[in-house]
Amino acid sequence: MKQLAFSFDVNRCTGCMACVVSCLDQNDLPGGMVSFRHVTKLEQGAFPSAKISFLSLSCQHCGDAPCLMVCPTGAISKRDEDGVVVSNRSLCVGCHSCVLACPFGAPQFEHGTMSKCDFCHTRMESGMAPACVSVCPTNALGFGNIEELTKAVKEKASVTILSSLLTTGSR
Amino acid sequence: MKQSGLLIMGNGGAAIHAVSAARSAGYEGEIHQVSDMEGPAFNPMLSPYYLKGIIPWERCFPFGADFYRKHEVNCHFGSAVERLDPINKETLLNNGRKIHYKKCLIATGAKAMAPPVPGLQESGRAFTLRTARSTKRLEEVISTAKRAVVLGASLVGVKVTEILRKRGVEVILVDVAEQILPRSAHPESATLLQGYFEKQGVDIRLGCSLNSIESDTRGVRCLFPEGIVEEGDFVAVCTGIRPCVEFLNGEKIEMDQAILVDEKMRTSVENLYAAGDVCQGINLMTGKREWLGLWGNACYQGRTAGLHMAGVNAVHQGTMPQHVSPFFHWTFAQLGDVHRQGKDVHIVSGGHPEKGGYHLFVFDGEVLVGVNLINRFQEIGSFKTAILRRLDCRRLMDGGFCSTYDEIVERIGRSR
Repeated sequence: MKQLAFSFDVNRCTGCMACVVSCLDQNDLPGGMVSFRHVTKLEQGAFPSAKISFLSLSCQHCGDAPCLMVCPTGAISKRDEDGVVVSNRSLCVGCHSCVLACPFGAPQFEHGTMSKCDFCHTRMESGMAPACVSVCPTNALGFGNIEELTKAVKEKASVTILSSLLTTGSR
Repeated sequence: MKQSGLLIMGNGGAAIHAVSAARSAGYEGEIHQVSDMEGPAFNPMLSPYYLKGIIPWERCFPFGADFYRKHEVNCHFGSAVERLDPINKETLLNNGRKIHYKKCLIATGAKAMAPPVPGLQESGRAFTLRTARSTKRLEEVISTAKRAVVLGASLVGVKVTEILRKRGVEVILVDVAEQILPRSAHPESATLLQGYFEKQGVDIRLGCSLNSIESDTRGVRCLFPEGIVEEGDFVAVCTGIRPCVEFLNGEKIEMDQAILVDEKMRTSVENLYAAGDVCQGINLMTGKREWLGLWGNACYQGRTAGLHMAGVNAVHQGTMPQHVSPFFHWTFAQLGDVHRQGKDVHIVSGGHPEKGGYHLFVFDGEVLVGVNLINRFQEIGSFKTAILRRLDCRRLMDGGFCSTYDEIVERIGRSR
């Protein structure tokens, strides 16, 4: 089964929040509501070696999604064609069980029912990338089939290790 | 003697997920399912939403009537199990039929329990909320009621109270405990919730035991200590549940409050499994087997049992106490142990439910052990992770305890 996924490069993210704003815009989320994507700042160390990192997170469209498992009404399902986890708000009763189950804080509530990232399926149907990915100025966010993403990450890691070995060897 | 494959006793979330998992793992043998109730699986979690008018009746059966045909299940519904004989691997139904099995799952759930109050057991005006049948009975009595007494300010008791208030019924909510939601709310959170419920018109009596009940066809008279008498059209009994295990008849299955299981949902008897509200699995916070009635946990347990019965080496590590529920216009959540006592226990609380949300964190030494939240949930997943991983929150203590929600969120994030 195909499984779409987001990729995220923590070394590239500057915390500009463009992904959050584009998500709010794309999904017509009302003011005051949290976006389907959020950015967390992580401060480590102290002067002079302090470091700030940012982590952009949304629904991970889990392979074995806990929100789907605990939903009492069947409002949450996983699409066979691309593995995207979607919510049917007409079936949601607003029990909030999904919020308790999700380790990523993905489910959001508006007018008592749950909504969340659906991988911008209307954009995807038109051949476009999800809004958050398309606006990311540093290409920290990406998306694709999870197998291809994993392969790309492995290749990048191999290149990094090889370069480091070659650099070490040339000394 | 012929063995008939898998036998699933019960027809709730655990049973359904067991059947589904066994078939998805490629099990092609016979599956027999027995339940004393007729019809498709009912989700008791949804009955309050039906009674509040949020969903129609048919939505209380989320797996549908077609589930059993699709999964090729031999249904024996409307037949209670009279006796389970795990030595000979057979079960006797109350219609006289015997079913033999290779492996059996007990997923019979739990039933509402009434306290031993004189006049309560035999009262025709005492109602519970658990099954499809009890939901319909409660609906019928609510439709003509003007005043009711709710026994038990537990999660179910509070939900029944909300239903009654939404339907314009006067409610007296009674509990022997000194606070509402005695298991899931810290006393401070409970006080906030109590004030809110009282604003919704609920008359709450705490630390109050019921001496006896007198009933006739028109209603009930509840007799409390010091000569206090309260009259109502009916009594809603929300004082707890007990596992449905009557058919065991003293079989040597290891039990505590409910049937004890391991991480593969195996009982102490070979080829006999248990899942859902009828069993005690691991509480990840204590490492002990505890009775935690949770819909999601029941579904995971059922799935694990189904896979294991089908030959897949699946495990379910356990869960932790947790709950979330909307009450009127507030939503309340609990994680872990909010009643922890000890010299190193420290409480951090603040905020207001109607001004951005209320929070209460319970730390034991450097470890977060319990959380109550009202109307604020974005980070609840990270709190759960912090509790389960026993994260060393030492940085939270730098220069004294954090006092704001945002500080705690940020520092728990760092600790991860």
